[in-house]
Amino acid sequence: MYRYDEFDHRFVAERTQEFRNQVARRLDGSLTEDEFKPLRLMNGLYLQLHAYMLRVAIPYGTLDARQMRMLAHIAETWDRGYGHFTTRQNIQYNWPKLADTPDILDALASVEMHAIQTSGNCIRNTTSDPFAGVAPEEIDDPRITAELIRQWSSLHPEFTFLGRKFKIAVTGCEEDRVALRLHDIGVQIVRKDGNPDGAVGYRIFVGGGMGRTPMISRELRAFLPKADLLPYLEACLRVYNLHGRRDNKYKARIKILVHEQGIDSYRAQVEAEFAAMDRSAIAAPEAEVARIAAYFAAPELPDRSADEADYSRAFQSDAQFAAWVQRNTFQHRVPGYVAATISLKPVGGVPGDATAEQMRVMADLAEAHSQNEIRITHEQNVVLPHVALADLYKVYRGLQGAGLDAANKGLVTDIIACPGLDYCALATARSIPVAQAISNRFASPERQADIGPLPIKISGCINACGHHHVGAIGILGLDKAGVESYQITLGGDATERAALGDRTGPGFGYDELPEVVEKVVDTYIAHRQGNRETFLQTYRRIGMQPFKEALYAA
Amino acid sequence: MAKQFHPSVLTANNLVEGHSVFLAAEGWHRDIAKALVAVTPEHAAELEALGHRHVSANEVVGPYLVDVALGDGAPVPMLRREQIRASGAPTIAVGTDALPQVAA
Repeated sequence: MYRYDEFDHRFVAERTQEFRNQVARRLDGSLTEDEFKPLRLMNGLYLQLHAYMLRVAIPYGTLDARQMRMLAHIAETWDRGYGHFTTRQNIQYNWPKLADTPDILDALASVEMHAIQTSGNCIRNTTSDPFAGVAPEEIDDPRITAELIRQWSSLHPEFTFLGRKFKIAVTGCEEDRVALRLHDIGVQIVRKDGNPDGAVGYRIFVGGGMGRTPMISRELRAFLPKADLLPYLEACLRVYNLHGRRDNKYKARIKILVHEQGIDSYRAQVEAEFAAMDRSAIAAPEAEVARIAAYFAAPELPDRSADEADYSRAFQSDAQFAAWVQRNTFQHRVPGYVAATISLKPVGGVPGDATAEQMRVMADLAEAHSQNEIRITHEQNVVLPHVALADLYKVYRGLQGAGLDAANKGLVTDIIACPGLDYCALATARSIPVAQAISNRFASPERQADIGPLPIKISGCINACGHHHVGAIGILGLDKAGVESYQITLGGDATERAALGDRTGPGFGYDELPEVVEKVVDTYIAHRQGNRETFLQTYRRIGMQPFKEALYAA
Repeated sequence: MAKQFHPSVLTANNLVEGHSVFLAAEGWHRDIAKALVAVTPEHAAELEALGHRHVSANEVVGPYLVDVALGDGAPVPMLRREQIRASGAPTIAVGTDALPQVAA
């Protein structure tokens, strides 16, 4: 885990005090709402349908137990006892009072957290692989790169007022668990020329994104030496900042610039800027990179194989545990260990929500059994990254006691959903109750297992916070003359086979959605070649027509 | 073509708490049933002007008019968004109320 240095502490403390003064000036009328709004947004504070909402950054989705307990304390002390984990690996509180927010930021600062740059037209929280430092095929831990980007991008004077928000993701693996190609910039750690002994560097993608104009990013550089990362990103941002549109917010993201200029033209400008700049003034010094890397050194994981009898016994005797192990655990690079996904998607639950008590349970389990590490995933789940098989049943029982034992990772009930019209001022339709209704429809564990991997993603408006464009089944809620209407897309994929979903046709009403999803699933089941062919494989093979016929036949 | 006028109420967010409020005879109220209802465009404009004075007085943020229906006398927002907002809460159970039954 990265720990703040003296500069980080001072920077966050000064910013919190500054915001305290701004809130006081707003409350005494010295600042108007027009003057205050950009200031609060820079500190993650929105005004939503029912209340203020505070979005707290969880850098690259990594937390320790102490930080998770503080998130629980904040939920209980200043909110309504729960929080919502987001697709940007952050957490949102839905009910803070304006006057309390400086105290919340002070509490966050006490555990080396903040809400800076979780909103506004700046570089947002850099996301990363929840299995960073765990995945056997990983080339290098992406959190080192993500932390470098965090430090470089925090209050960067050139990039604090961009034309639009800017999102970066980093992965160290070929297998994509960060939706790399749907980011403004995607950074993939690679070896040069794919050679196993080649130098480690970066493959850079640019111009991906969701929202009202979804695009898959294009390759900008096949290989970038590690030392050049920050200068190269700076060149990318400079070209965007110079030429990105500011006259129309819907055309202001870098994806539009890259699309309109063409990738070759954009690349030529970036390379020219990169060649002309004083790279040494921007690149992170080697000593600083080494200092950061030391924080992410792989933990010492002792050989616990002699203690695995309980695990083996439980695996044989407890069918629910066995199902959870098979569904929710991921092979660790160290034999005898796994990364365990804690699903925040119990059947009929609110996707991504956790109560304060659940946060404490996760913190306790992380401290006792996962080297004090916790990860948040962009799929709105939580990961304990270093659990010994010898401890796995204890962890499972702990989760079970807190309603955190859903064995559904990647299945039809593991639904991503934005807050939608139940909370969000921008939303045009509800997302959460749609997710709940679908989840209840497919509640049977046996049926979920039979259907297999099926990511459903729901957004309550065109901004696509619920990633509907890359759902195998995507659901987009819209407002049609005051009535909620939902467009369905099929075939979207957020992985290394990135694809945008195709629209099925006319939209459906709120109450129709469970039946609509059921028809899509039934069509897949009817057409799949054996029960190992996944929904996406079947869709790619048979195309849209059979699904259209099932959905729209008279 | 001019937009058809509907009866309307004035809503905003409370500055300190952030919750949705409606302009009533005695000031801002959380219950839409207490709201003043504008039945003419002129009356609606008066409510808006009053709301903006309350913004200047630092009571509320972002006032705007919401079209309502007057079925049995009480104003009911015509749009789903405003119905949810007027209810003051999500349409779903949240927090501990949303948890599934946990086995003992």
